[in-house]
Amino acid sequence: MKQKASKRSNNLNRNTWGDYIIIVIMLLVAFITLYPMYYVFLQSISDPLEVAAMNVYFYPKGFFLKSYGLLVKDSQLWHSYGYTFFYVISGTILTLFTSVTSAYVLNAPKLIGKKWLIVFLLIPMYFSGGLIPSFLLITKLGLYNTVWALVLPSSYNITYIILTKTFFSSIPYEMTESAKIDGANHYRILGQIYLPLAKPILAVVAIYTIVGIWNSWFPSLVYQPNMDIQPLQMYLRRILIEQSVDLTNIGSMQEAEAMARLKLSNSQLKYSVIILTTLPIIFVYPFFQKYFVKGVMIGSLKG
Amino acid sequence: MKRRHSREAIKENLELYSIILPAIIMIAIFSYIPLYGLLIAFQDYAPGNAIVSFSQQAGIRWVGFKHFLKFINGPYFIRIMRNTIWLSLLNIVFGFTIPVVFSLLLNEVKLNRFKKFVQTASYLPYFISMVVVAGMVLSFININGVFSKLVEVFGGTAKSYNTDPRYFSRIYTITNVWKSFGFNSILYLSAIAAVDTALYESAKLDGAKRFQLMRYITIPSIKPTMAIMLILSVGSILSSNTDLILLLYSPANYESSDVIGTYIYRLGIEGGQFSYTTAIGLLAAVINFLMVFVANKASDKFTGASLW
Repeated sequence: MKQKASKRSNNLNRNTWGDYIIIVIMLLVAFITLYPMYYVFLQSISDPLEVAAMNVYFYPKGFFLKSYGLLVKDSQLWHSYGYTFFYVISGTILTLFTSVTSAYVLNAPKLIGKKWLIVFLLIPMYFSGGLIPSFLLITKLGLYNTVWALVLPSSYNITYIILTKTFFSSIPYEMTESAKIDGANHYRILGQIYLPLAKPILAVVAIYTIVGIWNSWFPSLVYQPNMDIQPLQMYLRRILIEQSVDLTNIGSMQEAEAMARLKLSNSQLKYSVIILTTLPIIFVYPFFQKYFVKGVMIGSLKG
Repeated sequence: MKRRHSREAIKENLELYSIILPAIIMIAIFSYIPLYGLLIAFQDYAPGNAIVSFSQQAGIRWVGFKHFLKFINGPYFIRIMRNTIWLSLLNIVFGFTIPVVFSLLLNEVKLNRFKKFVQTASYLPYFISMVVVAGMVLSFININGVFSKLVEVFGGTAKSYNTDPRYFSRIYTITNVWKSFGFNSILYLSAIAAVDTALYESAKLDGAKRFQLMRYITIPSIKPTMAIMLILSVGSILSSNTDLILLLYSPANYESSDVIGTYIYRLGIEGGQFSYTTAIGLLAAVINFLMVFVANKASDKFTGASLW
């Protein structure tokens, strides 16, 4: 028996030419996905002269953090950072709230009209009014050009409601029944029994929502012409896409002169701003590893 | 069938409905009212008008299919439809096959550490925002960018890739696939991981080679997932990744980059032609739905996998 097992593992570990080809292809894939971000990082920390001469490809040349030093003084950057945090936090709390409450109710066996509620949830998954009717609604509600134009529409996500419902259906309903015999009402059962058990699914929904809102920019483009309340991604869009903000002008006159003396180019500042605004979401990465894949799997069970 | 509910049950349901009420209200407002707003596609709507009213004085002008016909007979119809469908087809072909091939190959890697590393790397782009991705692409393909530099190193001459319409579909497809292939492969990899390893073992004892294992065990295991993904992408044939196109395109390459979504944005939000653009959006949504329906039927027949 022992011999057989070792023979099998030997067989598994023997690499053929096919294995090497696959490893090379996979190395190439990893390189293609990681290199662009690494390149941006290298440019942001290298000597401005080397960057301008396009000499930096694989390792930093010189070490120069002045671009970051100048960017952190940009009040507009921190201002939009603050608004992004506000949108992310409020949107995530509301989404968690609507997901958990709806999922709990939809799983209650004694719910009257459950079928109708499910239909009510499924219709918007297949049909939506689209851009213009949503825009007119936001305008009519008086939300246009306010922070609520971003917060309220992102207060629910039907996919996450169904995801949470699937998760809840694995919690035995006898627990609810026995709590009821002890005199607990549904509010208490939800808050004291389901909520603590729901942590894994809450993490999944929270991570999906945080990444989604952090990276979203289009609703702001449509609903918020006022730059003061726009999130970080809109600030980035002005710098990276419209190129209407010249980063070499962000500071005072002396700083502008200092930048010119240092030959700090607008493009190097752009690379630094990319790193500064992408880092926080990269910190979510390890949590993603843990929960996100699980979320995809729960979703696919009853997708 | 009608059955009287006991007082107990009614009390319990009042509790339950009070819990779900906030969600119902939000969904009713933000998902259902826009559905009803679609009616303006059949009107000459002006801001401030009512959409439905029983009074004759409301000033609603119903115009039937006027806006639909205006779009179909308009000068940009061919260009927009061609671009939308072409970009979607490229996205279906590459955005669908690359995650499948990647998952199959990654599954063949025996070094677990390395496998995990490649998979982790593959979905990093999913986290990077569309604005940053588009900004990076635009700066790389700029005439002074690193891509143009590379082209020169290999003996070519750099061109203005970001304005020349001939390059747009390639730039869009590569960016889109780069950003999403890792994320889309998670589904396949988890389907492959769920296959009973005993199946492979016994096939190996029967002398099956690597490609036979792939063909007869691995691929059948991800077939239902593949079918569902294909149905969904066929169902979005008329809705391109408008987010990305709005960031990447410029008037210089509208010829090959302007799609339904961007056209609606420009004429509707920037131009205020609400009824006309709502009609275009509705038309696209109806065609998309029909496509899902047909694809689902076909899939049900050929693979047994279906959405409903």
